[in-house]
Amino acid sequence: MHNRALPYLLILPSLFLAAVVIFWPVYDLVQISTHDVSRFGQLRDFIGLANFAALADDPDFMAALWRTGLWTLSVVAGALVLSIPVAMILNSDFYGRSVARVIILLPWAVSLTMTAVVWRWALNGESGMLNSALMGLGLIDQNIQWLASAGTAFPMQVLIGILVTVPFTVTIFLGGLSSIPDDLYEAAALEGASAWQQFRTITLPLLKPFINIAIVLNMIYVFNSFPIIWVMTQGGPANSTDILVTYLYKLAFRVGKLGEASAVSLVMFAILLIFTMIYVRLAMREREA
Amino acid sequence: MRKSKLVRSVIAWLLLSPLVVVTLFPFAVMFLTAVKPRPEVLSPTWWPSEFRWSNFVEMWVVTGFGRALLNSLYVSVLATVGAIIVAIPAAYAMSRFRFAGYGAMRQFLLISQMISSIVLVLGLFRLIAAWGLIESTTAVGVVYMAFNVAFNVWMLQSYFDTIPRDLEEAAWMEGAGRWLTLRKVFLPLCLPAIAVTAIFTFINAWNEFIIALTILRSQENYTLPIQVFALVAGRYTIEWHHVMAAALLATLPVAVLFAWLQRYLVRGLALGAVK
Repeated sequence: MHNRALPYLLILPSLFLAAVVIFWPVYDLVQISTHDVSRFGQLRDFIGLANFAALADDPDFMAALWRTGLWTLSVVAGALVLSIPVAMILNSDFYGRSVARVIILLPWAVSLTMTAVVWRWALNGESGMLNSALMGLGLIDQNIQWLASAGTAFPMQVLIGILVTVPFTVTIFLGGLSSIPDDLYEAAALEGASAWQQFRTITLPLLKPFINIAIVLNMIYVFNSFPIIWVMTQGGPANSTDILVTYLYKLAFRVGKLGEASAVSLVMFAILLIFTMIYVRLAMREREA
Repeated sequence: MRKSKLVRSVIAWLLLSPLVVVTLFPFAVMFLTAVKPRPEVLSPTWWPSEFRWSNFVEMWVVTGFGRALLNSLYVSVLATVGAIIVAIPAAYAMSRFRFAGYGAMRQFLLISQMISSIVLVLGLFRLIAAWGLIESTTAVGVVYMAFNVAFNVWMLQSYFDTIPRDLEEAAWMEGAGRWLTLRKVFLPLCLPAIAVTAIFTFINAWNEFIIALTILRSQENYTLPIQVFALVAGRYTIEWHHVMAAALLATLPVAVLFAWLQRYLVRGLALGAVK
């Protein structure tokens, strides 16, 4: 009966497209990472896990790995802490709320590349507008070379990362907050519960599934985030702001160490897969609930 | 005692003000630098002595903005239209048929949304190089399309599931075939969801950086993000007023689109991401 084949035929093109851009590259990366490979991508002898072993001995890789953890955790945690109160304010009824929503969600529509280019300029040591604004406010008395050393560049990148992560996080929380019925708060207020008690015993528990999903999704996005660091410092000076994605890009397209680059890719792929499994389980549990 | 709405509004805006300032700061920097006369660009003052609107015209000519704009439009439209055309049948099948492998397909869609192009970029580069398509904006558009398909199917299915089957069944009773029902009853109802999904894909493609950076090597093929990045990267002197004018022009269309449709986009995404 042709009707039985129909759904498969309808799905096939999507499946095919999504599979080609995922499975073929993964297969290729496995091939390259386990072979001796020339600078131009010719595969030679099978060398097993030697490329992975080389990574473990590479101090730059280990530093980038560690920094990726720091980057991901600080951006995700920062965005979370900032987004809960912001979402609660945006969920309450006040004049100009729709304007406030548009402004706060706006960075979402702007490409990370443009945001990073603008900040690179704003943080410019001699002519940057951040220095002139801070001087004008009397907060600093001489120019700070923000991007010249990792000590100031990386924290700025984390702050910008937080800023661009807030809109998406707020959006998820707004969805969660709108599902909490007002009666709960009214009843709690009648019982004499303070605002803080209401937050702890009503808002936070009911928001928890949304917080979980926001954490996992943000971990995935931030872990993969390339443009902010690439555009502002290209991982420099001297690899001191590299995270895995920028280090991977340098290995592959600057240095031409294809074997090690694909090993980094696969390590990242494995980490991502773990995050994704967690997300799938959370999302599926959410559906059943 | 309930505080009056006015008091609450003042408090809300006061609490939000630091975030609002930081959010608007880059836009202010972009705009003010873009309209500064060239000699003032490097002096760290905020306000330009006059608004030099001709900077935009000059930038357009000097940086080849028009060509990058066309390239960006081309890859984004290709990705958007392609992804929607491929995703509608799949989402329809997943919403209206029962078949073996349904659960596996849903998991596959969910997982493939999470796999980012950066992790696979070396493999993708070799795939595209093997086909001899380095420098091809079409190849970039198709890759964007492929990466957005899963999201499209997921979003559309979430919406299709909310449309009652009675309507289609009524049309079948009247003797309309599946195809006619689909075209005359079902798809018109889904138009808002299709539009929202398409706009999301468009914004994604418009803003994408890494694939374009890797595949498009010469200036005549650059998309806008790469064009703007090229004005900054590896240059000895950077014409910041041109960079900011270009960034502003590249950002404005999607920002306006987003601000205008924000409510629908956000609701649609919440439906897709959380459900």
